[in-house]
Amino acid sequence: MPRPYTINMPLPPKLQEIVDDFTSLTRAEKIETLIAYSESLPSLPERLKAERAKMDPVPECMTPVFLYAEKGPAGGLLFYFDISPESPTVRGLAAILASGLNGSQPEEVLSVPADFFMPMNLQEAISQQRINGFTGVLAHMKQAALKHLHGES
Amino acid sequence: MSYVYPEYLVETEWVAAHLSDPNVRIIESDEDPLLYPMGHIPGAVQVDWFTTLQHPLRRDFLTKEQFEEVASNLGITNETAVVFYGDKSNWFACYALWLFQYYGHKKVKIMNGGRLKWEKESRPLVKDVPSYQKTTYRAKTPDKSIRAFRDEVLNQSKAKKPLVDVRSPKEYSGELISMPNYPQEGATRGGHIPGAVSIPWAQAVNETDSTFKPPEELRALYEGKGIKPDEEVIAYCRIGERSSLTWFVLKYLLGYPKVRNYDGSWTEWGNLVDAPIEK
Repeated sequence: MPRPYTINMPLPPKLQEIVDDFTSLTRAEKIETLIAYSESLPSLPERLKAERAKMDPVPECMTPVFLYAEKGPAGGLLFYFDISPESPTVRGLAAILASGLNGSQPEEVLSVPADFFMPMNLQEAISQQRINGFTGVLAHMKQAALKHLHGES
Repeated sequence: MSYVYPEYLVETEWVAAHLSDPNVRIIESDEDPLLYPMGHIPGAVQVDWFTTLQHPLRRDFLTKEQFEEVASNLGITNETAVVFYGDKSNWFACYALWLFQYYGHKKVKIMNGGRLKWEKESRPLVKDVPSYQKTTYRAKTPDKSIRAFRDEVLNQSKAKKPLVDVRSPKEYSGELISMPNYPQEGATRGGHIPGAVSIPWAQAVNETDSTFKPPEELRALYEGKGIKPDEEVIAYCRIGERSSLTWFVLKYLLGYPKVRNYDGSWTEWGNLVDAPIEK
């Protein structure tokens, strides 16, 4: 059976580094590190506040995630997020993805396997249900990358 | 008019005055598991709806013995008054309270407004995780009168008895199966259980501070949709957490004697072969 992704496909180096770092952490260290990522997520730059207002309302139950992607000076994508401090887990997952993928080409973002986080063993810290947030945020980032690839933004 | 069983609800002031009361245990139960380690009510312990309260193998809650172990480790005795609070308007606080009731714990309370109100009032949050002396907790046989299983839900639907769908309108209509980009958590079919009325959970709480609406408004809300106190009522949502809140409102704030939570909810019904669905 062909697989849509193979685990041998290399991740962007910074993201690979984060994944590797998590692998060896204890449960308590994983929680601490996720909190640190969550707290490190920068606030939305003032110039993007207008874009934020245009955001579609997100149905209840899901943590609203606002994401904006633009081409940086070196040609790679830069991601900006606005996520409520009341949802630190989703903020932490978004901060990991932003740290790991900022500066990547759209093609590199699109090639990140949806299950790239499996080796991080986060389920012992925050349960599988919450880790699915990674899939959600990554899907948003891929949609943005696809738009850039097609020259829509 | 007041709530029918006001002893099941306490205000933030009450909790602030009972932080070191040995007869009270405060439990934080959140959707987001990082909130507690980032800061919680002094002396509060944490339960997680998934990693603490769910059976590690089957889709079910802890067994009676496992529940006893959890309660004992949290230093809870059968006489302790357990106060629950959490994020998201107390969804998972109500869910944990419901499970404690399922195992027969009598003295349970919700802190009105949950984390949001406590934070808005600038009350203290600490990072120290307390530990309490282990107790020998004895749970009762599960109280199945507050929990609905799929066959009972099917009979309820066939008998045209009240079913309350507390999900968002788009989940009720079948337009959305679950949240966008969360296919793993969804169901293979969308819609609602035939005969269910739509009363989204959020209509029972005040948006600004997550507190419950006053009794007369709540009564008008449910009775206005044909959900009457003298009938058997079953509430459901997607995984049973939002409907725990509605269950709490109907059972304790409005005093409906026969109300059950269908914890299988849409993630079971929408995947169940041969189950009737309405759109």
